[in-house]
Amino acid sequence: MNILVLLIPLSLLFLVGAGIAFFWAVDHDQFDDMETPRLMPLADVNPPAHAQASSDAEQTDEKT
Amino acid sequence: MNDAIARCWHCAEAIPANVHVQVEVAGGAHSFCCNGCAAAAQWIDGLGLADYYRLRNAPAARASADTRVADIWQRAELVREVVRDIGEDRCEAMLAIDGVRCAACVWLIERALGAERGVETIQVNASSRRARIVWNPQTTSLAALLGALARAGYTALPLSAPALDDARRREARTAMKRLVVAGFGAMQAMMYASALYFGAVEHMDATTRAGLRWLGLLVATPVVFYAAQPFFVGAWRALRAHTLAMDVPVALAVLAVYFASVYAALHGRGEVYFDSVSMFVFFLLAGRYLEMRARHRAGDLTDSLARLAPTQAERVRENDGTLERVAAAELLVGDLVHVAEGGIVPADGVLESARCRVDEALLSGESSPQRKLSGEEMIAGSVLLEGPARVRVRRVGAATMLAGILRLVARAQAERPRLACAGDRAVKHFVVRVLALAALCALGWLWVDPTRAFDATLAVLVVSCPCAFALAVPAAITQALAALARRDVLVVHPDAIENLAGATHVVFDKTGTLTEPRLALGDVVAEPRMCAQRALAIASALARQSRHPLAIAIATATDDTRCHAEQVVASVGGGLAGNVDGHRYRLGRARFALGEEAIDDDAVVLADDSGLLARLPLTERLRPGAREVVASLRAQGLHIAIVSGDAPTKVRAIAEQLDIADWHARQLPADKLARLHSLRATGARVVMIGDGINDAPVLAGADVAVAMAGGADIAQTASDVVLAGDRFDALTNARAIAIETLAVLRQNQRWALFYNLAAVPLAALGFVPGWLAAIGMSASSLVVVINALRIGRQPEFAHAAPTVLPLHSPRNAT
Repeated sequence: MNILVLLIPLSLLFLVGAGIAFFWAVDHDQFDDMETPRLMPLADVNPPAHAQASSDAEQTDEKT
Repeated sequence: MNDAIARCWHCAEAIPANVHVQVEVAGGAHSFCCNGCAAAAQWIDGLGLADYYRLRNAPAARASADTRVADIWQRAELVREVVRDIGEDRCEAMLAIDGVRCAACVWLIERALGAERGVETIQVNASSRRARIVWNPQTTSLAALLGALARAGYTALPLSAPALDDARRREARTAMKRLVVAGFGAMQAMMYASALYFGAVEHMDATTRAGLRWLGLLVATPVVFYAAQPFFVGAWRALRAHTLAMDVPVALAVLAVYFASVYAALHGRGEVYFDSVSMFVFFLLAGRYLEMRARHRAGDLTDSLARLAPTQAERVRENDGTLERVAAAELLVGDLVHVAEGGIVPADGVLESARCRVDEALLSGESSPQRKLSGEEMIAGSVLLEGPARVRVRRVGAATMLAGILRLVARAQAERPRLACAGDRAVKHFVVRVLALAALCALGWLWVDPTRAFDATLAVLVVSCPCAFALAVPAAITQALAALARRDVLVVHPDAIENLAGATHVVFDKTGTLTEPRLALGDVVAEPRMCAQRALAIASALARQSRHPLAIAIATATDDTRCHAEQVVASVGGGLAGNVDGHRYRLGRARFALGEEAIDDDAVVLADDSGLLARLPLTERLRPGAREVVASLRAQGLHIAIVSGDAPTKVRAIAEQLDIADWHARQLPADKLARLHSLRATGARVVMIGDGINDAPVLAGADVAVAMAGGADIAQTASDVVLAGDRFDALTNARAIAIETLAVLRQNQRWALFYNLAAVPLAALGFVPGWLAAIGMSASSLVVVINALRIGRQPEFAHAAPTVLPLHSPRNAT
C-alpha cells in the first residue's frame, strides 16, 4: 500500500493542474460561445485573396 | 429545391418579375431582389468572403440599400454613451447585431469588419447576437464600422457603456468555475470516502484511515469555501432581512456537516462526511447553473435593440425643409418628422401628410393595417406600411402611449402576488423544527449523560441534514428546466412551473399568438367566367410588383409564375393595375377595382373593365398546432378564453374556428389587465399567452405569463416562459412536464419527510452510529435526485419539428 504515498499526491497534483487549466480557459473566453466556433474549421483559415476565395467557392459548389 | 419562383441569391426572397438585377459575383452571375442585396453580395465577394454563401444555413436578412442608419453615430454626444476608451489609442464598444442567423453570419462579420482599417479585435457571439469590437479611433470611427456592417446587410446598434462590463458574462464564468470545483472536489472526496467505507470492513490500519480523512478535508475545503459561497451569501442576506430562505438550511447543513467532519478528522473519532457535503454542494450548484443558463438565454432573446439604443428620427428643418437625422429622444413637441415607408413612427403625433397606412399590430392588437388620414393620431412604435408620411410631434418620451404601456407593465409586475415556492415553505418549517429538536436533544443528553451529548446532537443534525429536503425541490426543478429547454420552452422564473401545473384558466391573445403574424390568402372565390387558379396566377403576377404586405401575401400564395404583368401602376391606398397577356386587370380594394359604388370590405378583388373576376379573401391563418393545443388544454379541464385588441368580427372568426365561447374584442391593455384582475378575484389561476406590446401589462400581471419568441421584446421581458422557436405545441408539453414535476416534487418531499421521521428519533436517542448517519444521508439524497431524473423522459406529445435548417447551397436554390 506504500505506493499510495506516491499516487495520491500525484493525483492531487493532476487535479490542481486540471483546475488551473480550466480556470485559465474560462478566463480566456474559451467557454463564452459554445456554438459559433464549431463551424469555423469549415472556412478558410486566413481571410483569403479574392481570386482564391471565388475559385474555392466554385470548387465546393461543383461538389454539392 | 427547384423553386418555380426565382429567389434572391442573398436573402432568398422571391424576386419580383420586373426586377432584373444580375451581378457577377463569386464566379457566376446571380440574380437579386434589389440593389441593396446585390450591393451586399458584391461587397462581401469583393472582400473575398463569398464562402459565406456556402457556409450559412439560413438566408441573410434583406439588405437595405440605405446605409445612412449608421450616420447618427457621428453625433459625439451619442458616441460618448456607448464607447469606452481603453487607452493607447483604443476604443471598445459592444454591439447588438440584428440579422445574425447562423454561424456563417458570425464568420462574415468577423472577416468583414476585421478587414476594415483600424479594427483591432472583433468577437461575435451568435447565441447572444452581440459583438465586441476594439478599434483605433485615429484611423476609423464607430459610424464607419456600423456603416460597413450595414453594407453587409446587418443592422447593428451599440449597447450602452454599462453593458461593456458585462455582468452576465462574469456571472456565467464564476458559476462555471464554482461548478467545476465542486464537481472535482466531490469526485475526489467520494474516492477517499469509498476507500474508508471498504476500510471499515477490511480493518484498515489507523494511519491510513487518518490519512484518508485528512485528504477528504483537503479536497472538501475549497468546495465549501469557494464553490458553496453563493449559499452563504444568500443565507446571510436572508437572515439580515429576517426571513428563512432556502439558502439558510443549505448553508447551515453545509457548515454543520463540514465542521463536524473537521472535528472528527482532527480528533480521530467520529465519522467524516466530506463526500456528502461536496456532492450536496455540487448538485445544488448544477441546478443553479442550469437555471442561470435558461435565464441568460431568455435574456439574450429579450435584449431588445429598441430598448437599448436610441431610435432615430428624421426631423424636417423648419427653415429650409431639409431633413436631419436625430435620436428620437432629442425630438421636441411641435417638431415635424419625416417617416419613410417601412420606418417606425418615432413619437406620438398627428399626421400632416394626406394619408398613410400603418401597422399597429404589436401596439393595439389590430391585425389589419390601419388607414390614417391627415389630422389623425399616429402612435409611436407603429410601422409605416405605405408612405412616406410627415408627422407633427405631440407627445414625446414618458408621455407617449408606449411609455404608458411600459408603466402599466411595471405596476402589474409590482402587484403580482408571487407564490412562495412550495419547497421554500416546507423547508422553513422543517429547519425550525430540526433546530428545536437538536437543541432539545442536546439539553436532554446533557442532563442524562453529558459525554454523549455532542455525538447525539451531531447525529440528529447529520441524519436530518436537510439535504433530501433541500434537494427535493431543486433537483425536480432543475430536471424540469432542462427537459423544457430541450423542447424549446425557456423558463425564466422557476416558480412558473408550479403555477403552470396548478392553472385553472388559459387566456390567449389573438393576433400573432393564436394566429400567424402575417396575413395569408384564404380560398379564392372566382366568378363563373374565370377559374380560381387562373385568377390567382394573374393576381400574383400583379402582386409580385409590389412590396405591400397584402401584395406579398398574394404573391407568395402560389408558385405559378407563368403570367407576367406589364405596365403595372400602383395607386396608394387602392391597389395595382396592369396588363397580363395583353388584358388590363385591377387588383386591390373593391372601391379601387370596381369603382366608387362598390362596398369596401377586407377582401382584395381582381377585376377587369367588365367587372368582378375573383375575390381573394386575406385572412389570418391559425398558427400551426393552435387547434391541437386549445383542444388538449380544454381536455385537461382548463377554461379557455381569448382577449384581443382586434375588431370583434375577426376575433369571433378565430374563436369559432377554435370553438372558444369566451372571447373579448377591442380590449385596451388596461382593459385586459382589469379583466385579469376580475378573473383572479374569483380564485382563478391564470396562464396568459401573448406576443404584443399591448399584451405586456396583462402578461406581467398573470400567474404564468407565456410569450412567443417572435413577438415584441417587452412582452418577453414581462413573461415567465418564452416559447422559443415559435412552436406552439410546446405549450402542451410544458404543462404536462409541469404537472409531472409537481408530482415528483411532492413524492420527493414525502420521502424526505418519511426518512426524517424514521431516522431523527433514533438519532436523538443515540442509536445511530456516525457511519450509518452518513450513509442514510447520502442514500436519501440519492433517492431524491434519481426520482427527479424521471421528469421529461416520456416522449413528446407532438412530433418535434426540425429546428435546424439544412445547409443552404445557393446553386441548388436557383
